[in-house]
Amino acid sequence: MSIEILSIIVLFISFFALLAYGVPVAYCIGISTTITILLNIAFVPGITTVCQRMTTGIDSFALLAIPFFILAGEIMNRGGIANRLINFAKSLVGSLPGGLAYVNVLAAMLFGAISGSAVAAASAIGSIMTDRMEEEGYPRPFSASVNITSSTMGLIIPPSNILIVYALASGGTASVAALFLAGYLPGILVGLALMIVVAIVAQRKNFERGQRVSLVNVWKDFRRAFFSLLLLVVIVGGIVAGVFTATEAAGVAVLYAGILALVYKAISIRDFPAILLNSAKTTAIVMFLICTSMAMSWLFSFASIPQLLTSFLLDEVSSPILIFIIINLTLLIVGTFMDITPAVLIFTPIFLPVVMELGMHPVHFGIIMVLNLCIGLCTPPVGTILFVGSGVAKISVAKVVPSLIPLLITMVIVLMIVTFIPQISMWLPQLFSL
Amino acid sequence: MKRAFFITNRIIEYLLIIIFALLVLDVLWQVIARHLVGSSSSFTEEFARFAFIWLAILGAAYLNGQRGHLAIDFWLNKLDAEKRKQRQVIIEILMLIFAIIVMVIGGGNLVYITLSLGQKSSVLGIPLGVVYAIVPFSGLLIVFYSLFHISQPEALETKEKSS
Repeated sequence: MSIEILSIIVLFISFFALLAYGVPVAYCIGISTTITILLNIAFVPGITTVCQRMTTGIDSFALLAIPFFILAGEIMNRGGIANRLINFAKSLVGSLPGGLAYVNVLAAMLFGAISGSAVAAASAIGSIMTDRMEEEGYPRPFSASVNITSSTMGLIIPPSNILIVYALASGGTASVAALFLAGYLPGILVGLALMIVVAIVAQRKNFERGQRVSLVNVWKDFRRAFFSLLLLVVIVGGIVAGVFTATEAAGVAVLYAGILALVYKAISIRDFPAILLNSAKTTAIVMFLICTSMAMSWLFSFASIPQLLTSFLLDEVSSPILIFIIINLTLLIVGTFMDITPAVLIFTPIFLPVVMELGMHPVHFGIIMVLNLCIGLCTPPVGTILFVGSGVAKISVAKVVPSLIPLLITMVIVLMIVTFIPQISMWLPQLFSL
Repeated sequence: MKRAFFITNRIIEYLLIIIFALLVLDVLWQVIARHLVGSSSSFTEEFARFAFIWLAILGAAYLNGQRGHLAIDFWLNKLDAEKRKQRQVIIEILMLIFAIIVMVIGGGNLVYITLSLGQKSSVLGIPLGVVYAIVPFSGLLIVFYSLFHISQPEALETKEKSS
């Protein structure tokens, strides 16, 4: 058996064994990488290489956007912004049949986009909406599953940390600005598709419609939400126009969110140390994953795993359509038990060379990958958003799952559409020639 | 040992807060300097990169103390309390071995090599070995936290949920 094949076997078996055992994911990646590298390189140079890849892997100004977006999201989470967004969404779509469910979809998407965190969106919007929806006769599992699925769209609609992580994992072939623009239409498409399912359910179960809101009140709610929404325009507009880099934009987002929260009197200066510490913890979770993943992706190219897989897939499976479906299915399965950040970091270097060989644009693949893994965030056994969303709705995961299924099937259909119609993702970036 | 644990946590918390605050101010200053003053300062970018490495690695060690790293505990939670505790001790030992081998020995060697080669950062002139020194330091912290968790079985009971 050649050393390459042996390396691959050792790497994957040790990784999945550690994962199933309950070892923290970042350590699973680090330990399995170290074992495999030591099969190939002598002890001291081997461990020094692992350590060096971990450290230099995060020595990047572009990655610095991640802690800043986390910090901005943490500030907004405490900043009374969720309520303003819900009221605005309600005045827009609340008067349709099943109105509150649309409000949940729209508010979760907006909050997810602004805060950059699907977890924050699911907990902030869900904790407010589920009770209100129950008062108007919506079953709790239904509300929770609408909230869970629509919250993930904050990860596709910019600004989005996971797209920055993908840009890093793609080795610079996809720019952050292009990815951000590419995320809009697929994200909105998922939102609309979820609303269609809501409409069908609302029709069948005769959900109440809210009162029609006068234009004056729409304007009033818009003004109250205006400064929160403006943040999206400033950040994404600034990046796309080239006024500032993604990292600088994230820094501006922190300042903006901080001032907004102080003006809204939702936080005081004395809260900042606790907010900084909390964000530092979230940052460390993500960054340590990136550290060890960078060592692992170095190992991938050292053991030429992407080349092996590319030639295998291209030789054995001739049809590109079939290869795209195989990759999507693999990612769907991976997504059910693995969190989105490690999945992007590990599988981008493996699959990106394959799809690029077939002529797919790296930006397009990034959107497919993130959209695909978003579905996994809503499924058991490991679905962060599923657990958070069920938690804030105060019902068990098992009760939520049945009403989740039609929504998840809808997301898979949209995923297929986005996979096979590249223009949905690529039209906006090409319009701005990015 | 409990006292040492709490004091260490406090110190690291302050360090993390200060580093994070400096990072924010540094990058905001970079934006302001470029757009209002019209001068681009490459030292802010280099400082930010180094402070970020410290924040990430030191934060990772701190998380070990808080048991806050992301893990798949689906199957772990299906075990009864006794078996779960046994497994958690083994997990702590695995992390401890990784920290000693890769972060303390590997990291120490990395620091030694970059210092003896005299590699310095291009703008600020900081020896890179000093930047990398956070890795063996954090490795030692993880060893300390793991030993604490192994010696205090009740500390393994409460696990902070975060993601």
